[in-house]
Amino acid sequence: MDFSFSSDQQLLKNSARAFLDEHVKPAQVRLLWDDPRGESEALWKEMAQLGWLGLALPEDAGGSALGLVETAILQEELGRAACPSPYLSTVLAAMAIDRFGSPAQKSRWLPAVAGGGARATVALMERALDWSPQSIETRAEERGGKVALSGVKQFVPWAHVADVILVPALSGSTLAVYVVEASAPGVSITPLTSLDPGTRVAQVTLDGAAVAAEAKLPADALAFLLQRGAVGAAAEMLGAARRCLDMAVEYAKVREQFGQPIGSFQAIRHKCAEMLLEVENSHAATYYAAWALASGAEDGALAASVAKSYVSDASRKVCGDAIQVHGGIGFTWEYDLHLYFKRAKALEPLYGDAEHHRELIVRRVAS
Amino acid sequence: MDLNLSPEDRAFRDQARAWFQRNVPRAELKTLEERRAWHRTMYDAGYVGMGWPTEYGGRGATPMQQAIAADEMARANAPAPINGLGVGFIGPTIIIHGTPEQKQRYLRKILTAEEMWCQLYSEPNSGSDLASLRTRAEDRGDHFLVNGQKIWTSGGHIADWGILLARSDPGVAKHKGISCFLFDMRQPGVQVRPLKQITGSSEFNEVFMTNARAEKRDLIGRLGQGWEIAQTTLGFERGGNSMARVTRYASAFDRLVDAAKKIERGGKPLLEDPVVRAKLGNVYAEMEVQRYAALRVLSALQKGASPGAASSITKLSYSEFEKRYYELCLEILGPYGQVTDGGLEETTLDVDSSSGVRSSWAYAFLWARAGTIYSGSSEIQKNVIGERVLGLPKEIRADRVAKA
Repeated sequence: MDFSFSSDQQLLKNSARAFLDEHVKPAQVRLLWDDPRGESEALWKEMAQLGWLGLALPEDAGGSALGLVETAILQEELGRAACPSPYLSTVLAAMAIDRFGSPAQKSRWLPAVAGGGARATVALMERALDWSPQSIETRAEERGGKVALSGVKQFVPWAHVADVILVPALSGSTLAVYVVEASAPGVSITPLTSLDPGTRVAQVTLDGAAVAAEAKLPADALAFLLQRGAVGAAAEMLGAARRCLDMAVEYAKVREQFGQPIGSFQAIRHKCAEMLLEVENSHAATYYAAWALASGAEDGALAASVAKSYVSDASRKVCGDAIQVHGGIGFTWEYDLHLYFKRAKALEPLYGDAEHHRELIVRRVAS
Repeated sequence: MDLNLSPEDRAFRDQARAWFQRNVPRAELKTLEERRAWHRTMYDAGYVGMGWPTEYGGRGATPMQQAIAADEMARANAPAPINGLGVGFIGPTIIIHGTPEQKQRYLRKILTAEEMWCQLYSEPNSGSDLASLRTRAEDRGDHFLVNGQKIWTSGGHIADWGILLARSDPGVAKHKGISCFLFDMRQPGVQVRPLKQITGSSEFNEVFMTNARAEKRDLIGRLGQGWEIAQTTLGFERGGNSMARVTRYASAFDRLVDAAKKIERGGKPLLEDPVVRAKLGNVYAEMEVQRYAALRVLSALQKGASPGAASSITKLSYSEFEKRYYELCLEILGPYGQVTDGGLEETTLDVDSSSGVRSSWAYAFLWARAGTIYSGSSEIQKNVIGERVLGLPKEIRADRVAKA
């Protein structure tokens, strides 16, 4: 048994850190916050060249055939940089197509994703604001060999830049996940402005949007998306939290009040110790879940729910406490802490909020 | 990263599981002698002192195997071995710092629990500030004369021997004047008084030493080396028990769920109440995170890493969790959680708290208060984490200023 990263995994982490430190500095993040698209085409192409977009995709699709642990490592680093990017939603959708899709769907989308030519997302929430399949109202109706989708999907990450959207919908009483091209007639996308400008969300309205009858994945893809999305979000939140912890500790060493560094005061030191505890536990939760899902362990789904619910609370606390340790400067726009604070917060309600995952846990362990 | 057990470890686990299933006592062990006999059975099968080197009677087992055995023990609801402090850290201290004569004289009887051991560290005025201890050990030529009082001595009332920290040189800085002794508890100058805790039970004692003797041959390490020895050995025990601890929490969780199915509020089982469900999901997640973290620590130990100050994170994490955990259990069970006798059968089921005592929810709830105080309080752990893990500046302390 080995909980530490292999040397290849550590190498991936180090190179991702080095790349993002150089290319996604806080100043770049701020530029993208002000950008209407909110993400950078050049950065996306570089991610493709680095092999990040195809990391978990098969080699014949231009990927590296690595697993969820490696994906989580990258996601943690992206969170640490508060990198504005549709990375999580894209690789999530691509992994589902790889797992559940037909050969035609795979050849249509996977090389495009791995090569940086396509972005993707998943539309998991509707007006019920619930993540369970029972809440889905979007209808799929057969119309002359095609399927027409009608419904409204809420808070869809990065829909405004997506080329393809995975849309769960009901045909009669049969649930499936439809593979919808964003350019199809009947698809309209209304971007929202929200707390973290580096995590864009939009409302997706489907008004008889036409897809080919075979452009769908089985209903099992839904749970797959929610579980892997939960772990990816947890990894990003973990990265944001560790960044905030590092900044708080460095600041506490140099900031002086009453003639001493504030880190010498127990009120500050104890807070930092609690933050470290939460970050280390979040690390254990995130990577346990990534490993369990990747290796097909029987508690993979449970671990994904544990990770999302635990890290949501932990990262909010850690990032918030980092602001508290900094005092006034941590509350200013020009200081970078809020980039990470907002990233962690923005991911809380996505891919199943903590309440939903806690309910999933109870269903599994207390039936 | 691969969290599967190796084939060897899996085989070891299966073997241990089968052994405990076959051998776990069916009847409750009531007397010390019965517990000693069970301890001896486990020792003979190789499940006590597993990490000790084979030359001293252990089996040189890996941290993983030790954790697996402890976990299987918890899974089988087996009574814990006795002499936990002796096997867990006093023996290893003797192995590292003791003379050949000390090893010969003490080690085997620690393992077999023929001689029971306790730890004589804390004093009424020296809790977190242990180095301020005042028990004196005066050099009287052929022995040391010991006078003072110790407190929070677990197992003191049944101990034959204790590991003692006492001040041998009051003239030097406080950390430097302390020595470490192996100390005979069965001598005229030693009086042990059980300390009644908030649980109503007495796992701890006060120990009064009046003109007692510590023999010269029983000094561990050098004179004045006591503090250093205590520092190196305090962290021994963490990690190996962490999986077993979570297994005990998990078995308590199953009992909690059973109770939540049977207890009704407003005509509906508690388990159908969305607020209760949210709490259960939350605490289960926290419990699982404890398990993942335990695996992570174990994996580091397995690779030969010394957790050092990072073991403070483990201790802080589980002891604070345990407090929240039993608070939540009692919250969910409501008044039933507080009944220690005479309630519903489902709600008075035994719970195995981390003290190793199987008792009521109320007991476990009360006992959880001890965990964040003993072996370095949560506040002390946070100081250690802050200073030694995060590298934050030391605080300016009155005792350091005075010496400067």
